[in-house]
Amino acid sequence: MSAPPSNGNRGGAERPVVVCEEVSKFYGEVLGVNRVTLTIPPGITSLVGPNGSGKTTLMNLMTGLIHPDRGSIQVRGISPREPERMMRITGYATQFDAAPRWATGFQFVSTSLELFGLPRAEAESRAWKALERVSLTDAAHRKVAGYSKGMRQRVRLAQAIAHDPEVLVLDEPLNGLDPLVRAETIALFRQWGAEGRHVILSSHVLQEVDVISDQVILIANGMIVAEGEIRGVREEISEHPSQYIIRCRDASRIASLLFSEDHITEIKLNDDRLGMLVMTRSREEFSRALGRIALDGHVIDGVIPADENVDALYEYLIGGGR
Amino acid sequence: MTLQFRMRQAWTIARIEMRRAFFSRRALWVYLLALFPAVIFIGHGIEMTYRHKRWSGQGTTPAAALDSVNPRDTAEEVLKKAGKPITDRDWRRRKLTEEEETEKGGRIRRYEMVEGRMMMYYDGRRSVRLFFEDGVLKDKSIREEMNFDQDRQAYAGVFQYFYLRLAIFFGCLGIFMNLFRGEMLDKTLHYWFLAPARRDVLLAGKYLAGLTASTVIFTGGAMLSFAGMLWPHESAAVAAYWSGPGMGHLFWYAASAALACVGYGSVFLAAGLLLRNPIIPAAVLLVWESINGFLPDLLQKLSVLYYVQSLCPVPAPADPGMPPLLRTLLSPATPAAKEWAVLGVLAVTVLVLWAAAGAVRRIEINYSTE
Amino acid sequence: MAVYKRGYQRYQGPLTGRFARLMAMPRFAWERLLQQRLVVIMLCLSMLWPLLCMGFVYLANHLDLIPGMGGGLEKMVSINAKFFVVFMNIQAIFTVILAAMAGPGLIAPDLANNALPLYFSRPMTRVDYVLARMMVLAGLLSMVTWAPGVVLFTMQSSMAGWGWFTGNWRLGAGLVAGFLLWILVVSLVAMASSAYVKWRIIAGALVLGFFFILAGVAEMVNAVFRVDWGSLLNPSRSMYHIWCRLLGAELPEGPGTWEYASAIAALVVLLLVVLERKLRPVEVIK
Repeated sequence: MSAPPSNGNRGGAERPVVVCEEVSKFYGEVLGVNRVTLTIPPGITSLVGPNGSGKTTLMNLMTGLIHPDRGSIQVRGISPREPERMMRITGYATQFDAAPRWATGFQFVSTSLELFGLPRAEAESRAWKALERVSLTDAAHRKVAGYSKGMRQRVRLAQAIAHDPEVLVLDEPLNGLDPLVRAETIALFRQWGAEGRHVILSSHVLQEVDVISDQVILIANGMIVAEGEIRGVREEISEHPSQYIIRCRDASRIASLLFSEDHITEIKLNDDRLGMLVMTRSREEFSRALGRIALDGHVIDGVIPADENVDALYEYLIGGGR
Repeated sequence: MTLQFRMRQAWTIARIEMRRAFFSRRALWVYLLALFPAVIFIGHGIEMTYRHKRWSGQGTTPAAALDSVNPRDTAEEVLKKAGKPITDRDWRRRKLTEEEETEKGGRIRRYEMVEGRMMMYYDGRRSVRLFFEDGVLKDKSIREEMNFDQDRQAYAGVFQYFYLRLAIFFGCLGIFMNLFRGEMLDKTLHYWFLAPARRDVLLAGKYLAGLTASTVIFTGGAMLSFAGMLWPHESAAVAAYWSGPGMGHLFWYAASAALACVGYGSVFLAAGLLLRNPIIPAAVLLVWESINGFLPDLLQKLSVLYYVQSLCPVPAPADPGMPPLLRTLLSPATPAAKEWAVLGVLAVTVLVLWAAAGAVRRIEINYSTE
Repeated sequence: MAVYKRGYQRYQGPLTGRFARLMAMPRFAWERLLQQRLVVIMLCLSMLWPLLCMGFVYLANHLDLIPGMGGGLEKMVSINAKFFVVFMNIQAIFTVILAAMAGPGLIAPDLANNALPLYFSRPMTRVDYVLARMMVLAGLLSMVTWAPGVVLFTMQSSMAGWGWFTGNWRLGAGLVAGFLLWILVVSLVAMASSAYVKWRIIAGALVLGFFFILAGVAEMVNAVFRVDWGSLLNPSRSMYHIWCRLLGAELPEGPGTWEYASAIAALVVLLLVVLERKLRPVEVIK
C-alpha cells in the first residue's frame, strides 16, 4: 500500500521514530499517563506494567483514539490528530473485544481496506492474505460476533496488519492465541521488526516480552519507570545486586574465592555442588574476579546473567504487585 | 487527499452503514412504524370494498328516503319511509333518569329500563344508523363510507400527526442515534476512528447512510399509504384527482417527509455525539414539537415541525382527541412559504451538522463511561 | 480428604426473611436513582401540580377569602371527581417521563452484562427478581401519584368535613386504585422495554415511544376507519376511562369500561410474557 513517506525525527535524523513529549492524560480526576516523554525507535518495543498502569492509554494516545490533555505525540512525523495520514501507516489491534455484529471476518477486514481507497478486488485479495497470516481462513465467512475470544483476537490482528502498516500497535496481542498461532505471530512481529517497522505491543506474559522485544518500556502509575534495551535498563539499576548463575565443577572452592571479594554480597550453592547463584554489586569487578579464577586453573563451564530479563526488571522497578 | 477521494471515502462509509440501517434486525421496528399507516389504509380499503359489495347485495336505500327520516319518528314510520334495513337489532338496558345529592354530600341515582333498537341503511355511499329508544328515533348517525375528500383529510391528519410527529421522529431517533451512540454502546466505534479518514468525512458518510435509509423508508411508507388511501376509490375520481392537484400533493408529502428526515436526522446525530444520554433532550424535543401549536408565532418557528408542516399540501384536521379547553389555546402560526421552509430546515441542518463535526473531532474512545 | 472433614462449617447464623432479601435490590436502586440530578429535578417538577392542586383545595374551601366572585368561582374550583381525574391525568405524564428515565437502568444492564445468572444463583427466583425491580419503580412513581393524591384527598376531607368524606370516600379509594393500576402498567412497560433492548438509551426511547406511538396509532385507526374502538390501543386513554369509572366522573365517549379493562389486561399479559421470555437465568449466545 502506498503510504506517504514518513520520518518522525524532529531533528531530521535518519531513523523514523515515535515520539511522545511531556504527554499527560487525565480521566476526570483519574490519572491516565503523566508527563510521558519517550522516543521509540523501530523494532519491537514492549510496554510492560501492572493493570491500570497506563499502557492502553498510551497506545490509545499514539493512535488518536484519545487526545492528550498536555504534550504532543508524533508517529513517524505525523500527529495522531490527522487520522487521514496517520492511519495509512499505522495499524492498531485494540483490546476491545467487541466486533461489528453485521460483519463476517472477511467483510470486517475487507471493508476496512476499502476505506483506504482500494478497489474492491484488491481489498478482498489483501483481506484474504491477512486472514491467512493469522490462520483464520476457515472461519473467514462466519460472523465475527460468533467467534471465540482467540479468533476475535486474530481477526483484529488481521485487520491491523492488512494494509501493511509501518507502525503496528498491539494491545495484548498474544492473549487467547493457541501455541501454534502464537509462535507464528511472534515470528511475524520479528520479521516486521527486522524490516525496520515499529511493532509496539503490550503484554503481561513477561517471558514472551523477554524473548521478542528489542526494547521495553516499563510503566507504572501512568509514569515511565524505565525504557530502553533490557540489558541497558538492568545496568542502570544499581540498588539491586546483579545475579549470575555459574556452572562449574568445583563450586565450593570457587565460592570461597569469590567470597573474598568485597563486591560479592551473597552466594547460594546448588545442592548438586555443580553450580551457584552469585550476587554482586559490581559487574566489572565480578568479571575481573572470574577471569582471575579461571586463570588460576579453575574450570568454569558457563556464566549466565540471572536477572537481565523483563521479569527481574519488573520485580526491581515496579515490585511484586503484578 | 483530494475532495474527490474524500467523497468516495464518505460514500464507502455510507455504503457500509446503509447495509446496517436497512437490513439489521434492529431496523425492523422502523419499517413497522413506516409501513403501519399503509397497512391501516389498505385495511380500510379492503373493508370499504367488502362492505360496499355486501351491503349493495342486500339492497340500497335511496338517499332522499334516508334524508327524510327525522328525529322523533317512530320505528314504524321509518320502516315505511326507508323500507327494510340492512341490520336491525334490539336490546334492553338500564338508563340513568335522575341523580340527586344528599345532605351529606353523597349522591342517589335512579334508573329505568328502556327498549333500544338500531337500524342500519346504506345508500351506496353513506351508511346511516338510526337509534331508537322505546320505539322513538333518538339519534341518527351518518357515516360516509366512500368519501374521497374525507379520506384525503384523514391522510393529511395521519401524515402530520403520525408520520411527522411520531414515526419520523422516533424512526430518526433510532436510525441516527445508532450511527455514533449505538457504536459507542456496542464498543465498535474505534474501528471507524482507526480508518484513514477524517472524522468529518466519517460524519458525512454516516449521515448520508442514515438520511438515505430514513428517507427511503419513511418517504416510501408515506407514498405507500397514499396509494393505499387512493385505491378503493372510483377510478374516475382518482383520475380527476391526478389530473388536478394529486401529483402536487404527492410531491409535497414526499418532500416534507424527506425534509423531516433531513432535519430530525441531523438533530439526533448531533445529540448522539454530544450527549451521553440523548433520551432526555429527545423527550424535551418531543414535548416541544408537541406543544408547538400552542406557542407564540416566533417560538413556533424554532421547530422542525413548523417548517415541514408548512410544506404539507392539505392542512391537517384538528386533533379529535384534544380536550376543548386545549383546542381554544391552539393557534398555529401562519405557514412559512415553501421555499423558506426548505431553506429553513436546510439552514438548521447545516448548523447542527457543523456543531456535530466539531464534536466528532473532539470525541474520544472511552467506552467505560457508557 | 473431603472439605467438611477438614473442619469446614458453612454459615449457620440467622438469615433475613424473603421480604428483606427482596428489598435489598430496591434499596440500592433507590439510592442510586436519587443520586441522579435529572431524576431529582423531574421529581421536584412533578410536585408542582400537586402543590397547585392543594392551593385549589384550600381556595375551594375558603371562598370567603375572595369576596365578590360569586357562584362562578365556586363552580370553577369545586373539588369533585373531575378535579381528581384531571389531577391524575397530569401526574400520569410525569410517571411516563420518570419511568423512561429510571426504568431502562433496571434490567438492561443486567442483561447486557450477563448478570442474571449471578442473581439467580442466589436464593432468588425470577418472580422475586421482577418484583424487586418493579418495587424500584413502584416506590419512585408512588411519590408522584397516589401519595400526593392521598394528601390532597385528606386535605380536602379535613377542610370539607366528615360529611364530605363519607359522601366521597370513593374518590380517595378510586384514586389509589387507579394510580396503583397505572403504576403497574407503566412499570411493566418500562421493565419489558428494559428487558427487550439491552441499551438503556433505546429502552428509554421505547418507553416514551410506547405511550406516544400507541396514542398516535389509536387516533389513526379511529380516523381512517371512522370508528372509536381504536382507542382501545391507547393505554393512556384506556386508563383515563377506567379512572373516570372508578371515581364516578363523566365517562368519555367510545368503548365501554369492560372493553378498556380487557385491553389493559391484555397489555399486562403481553408485557408479562415479554418479561418471562427475556429473563432467563442462562446466557444465550447467538
